[in-house]
Amino acid sequence: MAATAQAYDSGLSPRPLIDVRAFARRLVRRQSWLIAFIVLDIIIAIAILTDPILIDAWLFISPGISVSLSITLASFAISIFIGLIVALMRISKNPFIYNIATFYVEIFRGLPLLVIILIFNFVFVPALVDAIAGVDESTSQTGETIAARPPIYFLDDLLQRLVGIPEERIAETTIRSRDIDESWRIVLAFAVTYGAFMSEVFRAGIESIGRGQMEAARSLGMSYFQAMRYIILPQAVRNILPALGNNFILLLKDTSLASAVAVPEVSFLTRQFSSNRFRYPEGLLVLSFIYANLTILLAMLVNALEYRLQADRREN
Amino acid sequence: MGQPNPNAIISIRGATKHFGKVRALNDVDLDVHPGEVVVIIGPSGSGKSTLLRCINRLETIDRGEVWVDGLQVNDRKTNINLVREEVGMVFQQFNLFPNLTVLDNIMLAQRIVRNRKKSEAEEVAQELLIKVGIPEKGNTYPLKLSGGQQQRVAIARALAMNPKIMLFDEPTSALDPEMIKEVLDVMLDLAREGMTMVVVTHEMGFARAAAHRIIFMDQGYKITDTSPEDLFENPEHERLKLFLSKIL
Repeated sequence: MAATAQAYDSGLSPRPLIDVRAFARRLVRRQSWLIAFIVLDIIIAIAILTDPILIDAWLFISPGISVSLSITLASFAISIFIGLIVALMRISKNPFIYNIATFYVEIFRGLPLLVIILIFNFVFVPALVDAIAGVDESTSQTGETIAARPPIYFLDDLLQRLVGIPEERIAETTIRSRDIDESWRIVLAFAVTYGAFMSEVFRAGIESIGRGQMEAARSLGMSYFQAMRYIILPQAVRNILPALGNNFILLLKDTSLASAVAVPEVSFLTRQFSSNRFRYPEGLLVLSFIYANLTILLAMLVNALEYRLQADRREN
Repeated sequence: MGQPNPNAIISIRGATKHFGKVRALNDVDLDVHPGEVVVIIGPSGSGKSTLLRCINRLETIDRGEVWVDGLQVNDRKTNINLVREEVGMVFQQFNLFPNLTVLDNIMLAQRIVRNRKKSEAEEVAQELLIKVGIPEKGNTYPLKLSGGQQQRVAIARALAMNPKIMLFDEPTSALDPEMIKEVLDVMLDLAREGMTMVVVTHEMGFARAAAHRIIFMDQGYKITDTSPEDLFENPEHERLKLFLSKIL
């Protein structure tokens, strides 16, 4: 190294702006998998652009990307919220709170996700709607639902607004379970299931922070929740970021289960395309192409975030 | 159990604490008056840290009473945060917040507990960093500092709340020998300024130089409570003699 530096300084060869050889060596050693992936990706992209059936498959399936992504994002956001609350409940010293939270976690970790989706879609959401809006559904001659005063009318109004029933009709109608889109039902199913898993991740993260941090914060007069918010959770989240990213990717892949209740996300559209056209290889190739790109993009995003949050552990 | 001493800023009566079957504290009485520096010594497991941590209720006691500045600490109805605002604490392991810069470590509690404005909190923090001798480290993260520097930041963080009392729990025990002095110097300055301090330590040099009283504890009992002169010149108690012969 010293000899090289001397050669540069003596003006024998101009010092390069970046050390190309070191950069290339690093790239090959650490990023070959990514290069291979990108090459394969480009080949498939070219195939999709040139092959008429693959184009058809792409045009049919790709509108589902936004559906898959929005289900993932919405479920993830809610599940983080649930996970955090339940994690705090699980470390509570109050036995009532602890047992409620543990009951929830064990139930939803124990049931297969597909089963939970079916239960939410066909049983739980309709039952909930009935509880809010009442079961009595009399129909007028024009087929309009006639409003009886719903049992929980403000929730009824709120739900109607949420699902986009025109404002002037809200007072006359009640919410019916068919008004509630499958996407929302499964977002709930995903959120409560992943919330159970997330709570374990958060709990592990919180417990990974030494007791001294809480003691130091409390000894300065901070309340328990101030200490959690400003001291414990920021450190815990940094420790569990890889696990959160992992769950995010798992969740994205699990949205394929939504095809079981006919939500028009990519897996459902692929099944439709393939069975309509009897073209399984093409449909599944496009589907894999979509999932692989989404998950790798997400993984890189998580890595970048992790790097940013490590500022205090790096030099300078 | 006696009455709390109205002239003392810390008044402990009959404090008793069990960890399982082990008695960590045995009917301990202690009064600390404003401006006093009280050093607690004793072999490990003697209950000295436990006694210190009872003062701001990091440990609860099973029996007895702890009064700090007119508030009954062991009463569950007392808002403990009010007590802790007035009682700074420095730990053996520093316990700085690694996710915050040195300045933010010192500013956070000022902002959210004392509700000070950012500019005011920052001014206090800068002044304290000068006082503890590391004004240039404000924007550094704690883990990049040496142990001695970290402990000085921890002292500054506690002082930023303008506490009436400072508790030190073996503040130099985790430090390399060459860093002990820089921390003790800061503590000596504090003692000279008239801060009320309760210090658990093995640093007899500090005890001799700064302490008004030295408490010797063993197996959860307060054995002696004397001036430094009496303790070092003519220790009376057998166990105290044994202890001093081992560490001096």
